[in-house]
Amino acid sequence: MAKKNSQTEYRKVDEKVQNFVDEDLTKLRKAIRLRPLLSNDTHQFATTLRLYLTCIRNTLEAAMCLQNFPCQEVERHNKPEVELKTSPELLLNPVLICRNEAEKCLIETSINSIRISLKVKQADELENILAKKFLRFLSMRAESFQVLRRKPVQGYDISFLITNYHCEDMHKHKLIDFIVQFMEDIDKEISELKLSVNTRGRLVATEFLKQFI
Amino acid sequence: MAAVAIHQFAQCITCHAWSPDQSMVAFCPNNHEVHIYKLFGEKWERVHVLQKHDQIVSGIDWSVRSNKIVTVSHDRNSYVWNQEASEWVPTLVILRLNRAALCVQWSPKENKFAVGSGAKTVCICYYEKENNWWVSKLIRKKHNSSVTSVAWHPNNILLATTSTDGKCRVFSTFIKGVDSRESGASSSSNLKFGEQIAQLDLSFTWAFGVRWSPSGNTLAYAGHNSMIYFIEDVGSSPSAQNVALRDLPLRDILFVSEKLVIGVGFDCNPMVFTADETGLWSFVKFLDEKKIAPSSSKYGSQFSEAFGKLYGQSKPAINSDTVESSRPRGGAHENCISCIVPLRKPGDTIVRRFSTSGLDGKVVIWELDNSI
Repeated sequence: MAKKNSQTEYRKVDEKVQNFVDEDLTKLRKAIRLRPLLSNDTHQFATTLRLYLTCIRNTLEAAMCLQNFPCQEVERHNKPEVELKTSPELLLNPVLICRNEAEKCLIETSINSIRISLKVKQADELENILAKKFLRFLSMRAESFQVLRRKPVQGYDISFLITNYHCEDMHKHKLIDFIVQFMEDIDKEISELKLSVNTRGRLVATEFLKQFI
Repeated sequence: MAAVAIHQFAQCITCHAWSPDQSMVAFCPNNHEVHIYKLFGEKWERVHVLQKHDQIVSGIDWSVRSNKIVTVSHDRNSYVWNQEASEWVPTLVILRLNRAALCVQWSPKENKFAVGSGAKTVCICYYEKENNWWVSKLIRKKHNSSVTSVAWHPNNILLATTSTDGKCRVFSTFIKGVDSRESGASSSSNLKFGEQIAQLDLSFTWAFGVRWSPSGNTLAYAGHNSMIYFIEDVGSSPSAQNVALRDLPLRDILFVSEKLVIGVGFDCNPMVFTADETGLWSFVKFLDEKKIAPSSSKYGSQFSEAFGKLYGQSKPAINSDTVESSRPRGGAHENCISCIVPLRKPGDTIVRRFSTSGLDGKVVIWELDNSI
């Protein structure tokens, strides 16, 4: 009797898990079905992304006119003015480019440096935590990226700081390409991470529940 | 109508200047040194290295008649270099600055030079024979921000400056004992030292690269809002003209003649401006014909590659929806041009050749043909 009881309980749990896995699978299938559409130029999503990125590219093109400029306030110093903000006349008006509330890009320019801050799309909590962890992973390795800022500007997920020294060492168009490519990749990267988290969750669940069969 | 010669001297050049006979070029390779190269046959060889500054050299000028080099640096000092035998001997100029010096220019008579600085001042330096010493006189409290460029009027008295507060100013630099009363025009020699003659408030943002026309009638300067300003008759009744550019802003300009101006800047390509008979200035063309670079194969981002390696994930081929990547420019310069210098043959009144240097470390010599 007791055995029968426990068996029905197992079945209940099993059904629940099956439902959960099914739900997950349908989501996954949806995501997989969506993926080719994402890279389709005619799809509206991709078109707006392209417009957004083109807008950022053109703005950067115009804003990245930097020169060596020593500090006016402190003797023998040469620091990015966009960070210190000591002389208001050396700063230009910041430009904010928004795709929607969740995705925006702030470009702040000064005479010898430019700061680009990004807010990455986070549709749900999973994406939120993935973006946070992933961008933290990148920020901690800021040295190897050279133009990455160690800490994002408040209200944004990740920031870049480009100074006149970067413009002297590197080609301007390559720098701009890097930023735009980064923005393009970050969305893909996060949706991919999300998929793999879900897949892994499903696998773990199946493995775990095998012992009850 | 194109680049005659392109020389890759260094990684990055902040400024350069030519010797009077144009056989030697002095430039700063973006550090505390000044290198002097000389042309031997076909090859440029380094003959001198001037080491005295301890921060980046921001300005060099080589006087035509007296064969002296003046250098200024972010370390707040200036040196006048005199060639004795085969050595260049430096003389320290006490500028009395507490911020970086940004630009320098010899006056037309070469008895004075002007230094613009980040201390919001301009130094006028002159030589005192009694003390064997360069003395600096300051124009204080006239600028609200760093002085980015200085230019001498041909009369050796008037000095035009541009500043990051967006204004262009004209000062009298009459120094008793150095300038004689007859030297300039009668009106300008009656002025005291440091007196402001004009303030031009045309630009909304930083102004750069001020220059006088050969006669001194026209003044031109560039604004960071992609504008170039031409001002006629600054002294008496100034009339200004603004020319807006389609492209990126200018850093420096050069008057080739009264009616022809070359502008260089962030577009990596010199621009030609001319005035017609009525005195109306307009943009004519780019000096360097742009070659359309063949579209390079699109590269995947280093970032996604690195990430793929880190995680051992196979990356699907992206790029199907990449935004078209910008192409490198196919001109003589690959990075911002920061300096333009005329190459004046002795006794020649018209400049037909000039050189430009930029952040890509190249010095390019250009020659104008007769079409413009």
